[in-house]
Parts: sequence; C-alpha cells; structure tokens
Amino acid sequence: MAAKKKTIGRYKILGELGRGAMGIVYRAQDPALDRVVALKTIILADDAEGREEYQKRFFLEAKAAGKLTHPGIVTTYDFGEQDGVAYLAMELLEGTDLRARLKEGALPPAEAVEVARQVAEGLGFAHERGIVHRDVKPGNIRLLERGRAKIMDFGLARMRAADHKTVTGMVLGTPKYMSPEQVAGSPVDQRSDIFSLGIVLYEMLTGSRLFGAEDMTQIMHNVTYQEHEPPTRLKPELPAMLDFVVARALKKDPAARYQDAAELAADLSTCLAELRARPASPSGEPTGTRTVKIERSAEPLSDAPAARAIATDTRLPLARQFDSSAALDRLAAPSGRDRRRLARAPRPVGFVRRILADGPVRRLFVALVIAAAAGGYIAWG
Amino acid sequence: MLPGMPASPQASVVFLKVQDFARRAASEQARLRAQLEAVVAVTVAEIDPASRVVLEAGDGVAVVVLREPRGALRLAERALAAAAAGLPLSAGINHGAVQVFKGNGGMTGDGIAVAAAIAEFAAPSHLLASRSFRDALAEVVPGLEAALAPAGTFTDPGLRSHELFGPDRSAPRRRRRRYAAASVVLVLALVGGGIGARIAKEGREPFVKSVTQKVQPYLRALVRKLSY
Repeated sequence: MAAKKKTIGRYKILGELGRGAMGIVYRAQDPALDRVVALKTIILADDAEGREEYQKRFFLEAKAAGKLTHPGIVTTYDFGEQDGVAYLAMELLEGTDLRARLKEGALPPAEAVEVARQVAEGLGFAHERGIVHRDVKPGNIRLLERGRAKIMDFGLARMRAADHKTVTGMVLGTPKYMSPEQVAGSPVDQRSDIFSLGIVLYEMLTGSRLFGAEDMTQIMHNVTYQEHEPPTRLKPELPAMLDFVVARALKKDPAARYQDAAELAADLSTCLAELRARPASPSGEPTGTRTVKIERSAEPLSDAPAARAIATDTRLPLARQFDSSAALDRLAAPSGRDRRRLARAPRPVGFVRRILADGPVRRLFVALVIAAAAGGYIAWG
Repeated sequence: MLPGMPASPQASVVFLKVQDFARRAASEQARLRAQLEAVVAVTVAEIDPASRVVLEAGDGVAVVVLREPRGALRLAERALAAAAAGLPLSAGINHGAVQVFKGNGGMTGDGIAVAAAIAEFAAPSHLLASRSFRDALAEVVPGLEAALAPAGTFTDPGLRSHELFGPDRSAPRRRRRRYAAASVVLVLALVGGGIGARIAKEGREPFVKSVTQKVQPYLRALVRKLSY
C-alpha cells in the first residue's frame, strides 16, 4: 500500500519511522514549504458506511488537534485522505520516546517531574479547548533535547477506540494507562488524562510498572481497585510532596482527583522547586528523614478479587518515620498473660472493683457504711 | 495474620485526621503531613514503644495502642492541643479488633475502620470516642470514663450507628459533687432512720434526755475551750 508509494497527498516519502496499531509513520517532505514532517497514516475501514463515519471523525479530531499550538504538544500541520489512507502531517521531532527511555529504568526525580509538568501544561492547554487526549502513555510522550518533552497523538485514541468498538464490541487501547472510568467504558473528561499522567509520573519516578499484570482482565481490575504504594516507599530520596501529587492524580474517583491539568502542573512546579533546592546527596541516601525498612507483603495473591478490594480499603501501612517493630514483635509473640489480655474485649467493671478503684463511689460507700453503723448504734446501741 | 498472635488482638486506636485533606493543594498536604508527623512524634513518645504502632492513613495517622486506653486518650488530647496552631486536626478513638499483615505489611481491622469513621464526625480540634473505648477506659481505671460525656449517636456512610462520647472536663467534677450530695443525703437518711427507730422504741422524752446526758460533757468542754 502506502509503503510502496513515493508520495502521499503532497508529501514525498523519505523513509519509515515506525509502525503502530493504526498504520505507519513516515518521514516525509512537504515540497510546498520545503519542510520535513512526520506523516502518520491511518488505514480506513473497508466498508463504505464505516469508512465514511471514520473519515468524518478523523477529520473532526485532526482539525481539533491542528488548533493546538503549545510547546508541550506536537504540532499537527495538515491532514488529508488518499486511496483509503488518512494521514496527518505532524512536527518531526528528534529525540526518543519516553517508553524507550523507561526501559533503562527510572528517570532522575527532577527530570521525571519536569517531563510530567510539561506534559501537564500541554494537556491543560488542550483541555481548556475542550480536547481530551484519552491515551496518555509513555509511547505518546517524546523527550527532546535540553529537557523538553512533548505529547503527541491527540484525539487518535478516540478514533481507534470507536473503530474497534464497532468491530469487536470491546474498548481497546492501552488499559494499563487508562483511568478507572475509561476501563469501565464510562464517559471520560480531562480528569481521565490526569489519571493516565499520574501513572506515567509514577513509572518515571520509581521505574516500576503500576497496575501491570499478565492478562487484560487483571490489568483492568488493578486499574479499578488496586491502590498504589507511595513513590517514597520505593524511592525514599523523593520528596514527600510527590506522594501527595501522585496520590491525588491517581484517585479512583474522578471527583477526588485534580480537576484540571493546570492544577497538577502547578503542584509539580512546587515539587520541582523543592527538588532543585535540595543539596545533592552523593550517596543517593535520603536527607533529613529516618527511614525504617518495610518488608513487602509476602501474602499470596490468591484471595478473591472482592476480598482483596475490601482488605485494601481498611488496610493501613506502617508509618516509616516511626519504628513500630517492638509492638509488632509483642503482637507476634505475646507472653501467656499478655496474649490473654490482648485478646480480651473490655468487660464491665464489677461492683467490688468499682468500690475499690473509683474514688467518688468509694467515698459514697464508706460514708454509707459509717452512716449505717451510726444509725444502727443510735437505734439499738 | 501472624502465626503466634492472638486471634483478634484488641487495641485502642487513635485516628488523627487532617480536615479536608483531599481538597488541599499538594504543597499544603505535604506541609500538613510534615506538621502532623512532628505532632505525632512528640505525643507518641509518652507511650512505651512496645505498646504502640503508628500507621499511615491517606488523610492522617492512626496510632494503635495496646492495653493502654488511658495513654491513647492522653495522646489524642495532646495531639489536638499541639496541633491547635495551624493544623486542622480531629481525632477519633475506638477500641476494637486489629490485625497485622504478614511481613509488616501494615494493619487492618474493625478497630481501625471504626476509629477512622469516628474521626470523620469530629469537628476540627475535637475528639470523639466510641462506647467500646469508654468501656476499655473504665476497665483500666474505673471512674475515668466519666471524662467522656455522651455526644450523640452518629451513622456512618455504611449505615453503621456509633454511640459517641466527647471529652467533658467538668464532668468528673460534676460527678464527684453528685456523689458527695448523694452521700450527704444517704448519711442523713440513715442517721435519721436510726434516731426515728430509737424514738419509736423509747419515746421522745427519754431519748432527748439520754442524748443530752451524753452530749452535755462534750459541749461544756467545747464552751470552756472557746471561752479561753
């Protein structure tokens, strides 16, 4: 198909940049402006009706994406359709995508926060114009020179999801980076992008995959129910504030999440200022906080999903700043008497104990005894 | 649950909750969390390390106190007092079952869940305690439970009702006075009853005469003492 063509629309194909689920991305030249662009092609549906619908949607989304001019967003220059292949001409960026960078491990904290901040600003800009990305993931974030980052493929997820939905009746995409409402197939808004960016931020900071699992069902379950471990538990050198930023971005309830990306970007700026103000610690050890090592739970994951969901609701982790090992040891191996006392629920206080230990009751009792004795003596003495 | 531990250990749980935590900016959340940790560090120092476990909650901290309800109450009161400047804290105290997860994976249990629910009801700088905590307090130090006066019955979002008690500094004094008044009334009644019985037995005149004979020497001695 297009791969064998020398041109698509007015663009001269120079080479292939990559292949994705929707089509091929080419390096192409725009002869009119003598500019090299990234040309993303999308294969349209075969049946006429579906194709028309898809084309309409594609043009709408591409037009909306074309209006987004922001340093944090890859610019869309042009779009069109030729021989059953829709195409988008976009800004061609050097650098690498975040997915490839994450394969090497976590990013330095300041870099991770800076990337997330720039993406959040880009998303904020798009959200203000009513455009939701719907597929924020490392593969859609491009890392450029001098610490710049850009997000790409605005609106394409919607086209893809809608297309697959009509074909198979399932919501497709990247569930690992989806919000709970997106996984549930509910309507999404800008807060869904915030959740996805929260996952990306978590992975950049810790280098560990959040909500990852072997099969799609488990991933979707994890996205919906699993609570994340605060990043500082995995990387104690991170500022505590990042725990709150991540926790807020990853709230399962959209109403409890950041309500707009600008708010998230503002908090990330504060984190960045804190990170930059920190003295460099050559050993990589945390500065100023005492950390108690917490072993990871060795519990088997064989509980029913519902049981796990209930357990995570009330389960509280140990506070790292306080050493609770003495009490935990006591609970683990209590002495005989201690064991009985710890297991016993409070009992009502008995009459004798009340008289012996409760001051006002004791005084009343003593007064009664004396008065009774006096009364008896007077009566019969 | 750990292998050697009691089936469901009972403990007092103090849940210190920062009000409206979720609605605050992350920078403020971080500041409040640091402030809360400082407050807990100061207050928890009073409790034997073998008797307390400090847990992190999303919007606060839970301190599980083993077999020391009095210490738990003092901790909550001190934390609220220490937090009065700038930390919008409320406290919920409960006594109930807790459970430790393997590998120090944290704690769970009804004791913690109810304490958290109670903290939701408490106004800033106030604490509320459950009936079971009041009972635990009474068991350890009978009479101390009077410091917690009834605050009403509250229903949590899970439709579970909690009979709650709030601290009332004047309640123990009022109780002492009540008991003292009852003592006076009962003493007078018993002595009066004795007198009544004697009068009924001997008649009024002989009784007055015998009392006068017995009391007169003491009265004379008293008058003599006063006249010097």
